[in-house]
Amino acid sequence: MSVRYALLAQQPRHGYELRAAFEALVGGRDTWEVKPGQVYATLERLEEAGLIVQIGVEKEGGPEKRIYALTSAGREALREWFYTGIASDHHRDEFFVKWMVGLLVEGADLHRLIQVQCHALYQELHRFTRQRMEADPRTEWAYVLFLDKVVMHLEADPRWLDMVEARLEEVRQQPKPQPEPKPRGRPPKARL
Amino acid sequence: MALIRTENLTKIYGTGEAAVVALDHVNIAVEKGEFLAVMGPSGCGKSTLLHLVGGLDRPTEGRVLLDGRDLTSLRDDDLAALRRRRIGFIFQFYNLIPVLTALENAALPLLLDGVKPAEAHRRAAEWLTRLGMGDRLHHRPDQLSGGQQQRVAIARALVAEPDLILADEPTGNLDSRAGDEIAALLRRISSEWGRTILLVTHDSRVAAHADRILFMKDGRIIDETRLTGTGEEQAQALRERMEAL
Ligand SMILES: Nc1ncnc2c1ncn2[C@@H]1O[C@H](COP(=O)(O)OP(=O)(O)O)[C@@H](O)[C@H]1O
Ligand SMILES: [Mg+2]
Repeated sequence: MSVRYALLAQQPRHGYELRAAFEALVGGRDTWEVKPGQVYATLERLEEAGLIVQIGVEKEGGPEKRIYALTSAGREALREWFYTGIASDHHRDEFFVKWMVGLLVEGADLHRLIQVQCHALYQELHRFTRQRMEADPRTEWAYVLFLDKVVMHLEADPRWLDMVEARLEEVRQQPKPQPEPKPRGRPPKARL
Repeated sequence: MALIRTENLTKIYGTGEAAVVALDHVNIAVEKGEFLAVMGPSGCGKSTLLHLVGGLDRPTEGRVLLDGRDLTSLRDDDLAALRRRRIGFIFQFYNLIPVLTALENAALPLLLDGVKPAEAHRRAAEWLTRLGMGDRLHHRPDQLSGGQQQRVAIARALVAEPDLILADEPTGNLDSRAGDEIAALLRRISSEWGRTILLVTHDSRVAAHADRILFMKDGRIIDETRLTGTGEEQAQALRERMEAL
């Protein structure tokens, strides 16, 4: 069950309306744009899976629009999604890879790497802070909540950089990470 | 043009074995109208720098120039007069007088400078109102939240219409929401009312409001970054961040 179809729990909607409602919810199209094609493809998939069902057609002017509602199975899937914790995604951080490469490569200026990254982070923090200040907390509160989240996450990064830099000498004394050696000979027989 | 310039500003506390070099040949310039933040860990010399720039203390070596005029060569009473008229201070613990109301606290610098009470109160009320404290003029500090007390302290710092505001960890005693509000207020004081601000803090979210950040360590400025960018750069950054989500 995807985030976007949770909005069908509010009321039955057609695809176009669903997309608009979702974009309004997350603070505007600039925050999280959804392509119409994505919406229709997913609606089809959900219908096949029995999670939503077409309950009518709107024909007023222009092409006809199919209106969907959640089935009871859909409602159940939604419940499960809603009350399941979400792991935050901190994997595949490009700076982290740069940092590790820097530790392995002779002659890399790691202090400079930290410094450059630190500048970039503060510049980003400044931009979001400005946008947060310019947003109207009454009419744009979804956008404001979103910006608060971004700012608070960004705030943690310079602290981590400070820590990484403070531990640099200690880390340099440690053995470098090595790829796992390939086992020699034939791989052991799989046992049933 | 620089409103404030320091030349080899150095402060050593104590002598001999016990000497502490709190500030070590610091050269900075704060442009007119600029909002400059100085960041660094506790004990790196931020407060010392602010005190010397504000003429609250004298350097061991070096000079502080305000509009090209050397503060370190002024006599104590001339320095005090210049400080009252041209520099406003904001501190972590507000430093309000407990028995005075918000209005009386904010009017204090004017009264001490010989302005008639009616006029002093009128001007204090004006600043308090601009800072969102118009409905709290007659409250005493103990009847106000931390954020509200800091607003009173900011009104007091601005009431004599100084061109330079010095702020020492102004959000250090506030929760994050009140801290954000005070930081946003400092930004407006710079952008809307054109004051020059020198802020020292160890809070990156507060420093992020500034136009430029200086990083300090062991009494020296070790790095600098400019934050103010164009609107287009901002929009681009936002798009990139959204796509990454
Ligand atoms: N009045 C003083 N006497 C002796 N040492 C002082 C005094 N004021 C500050 N220091 C020392 O000078 C250094 C810088 O202090 P300070 O400017 O208060 O740093 P920060 O504001 O960045 O925390 C510290 O090592 C501090 O202990
Ligand atoms: Mg201090």
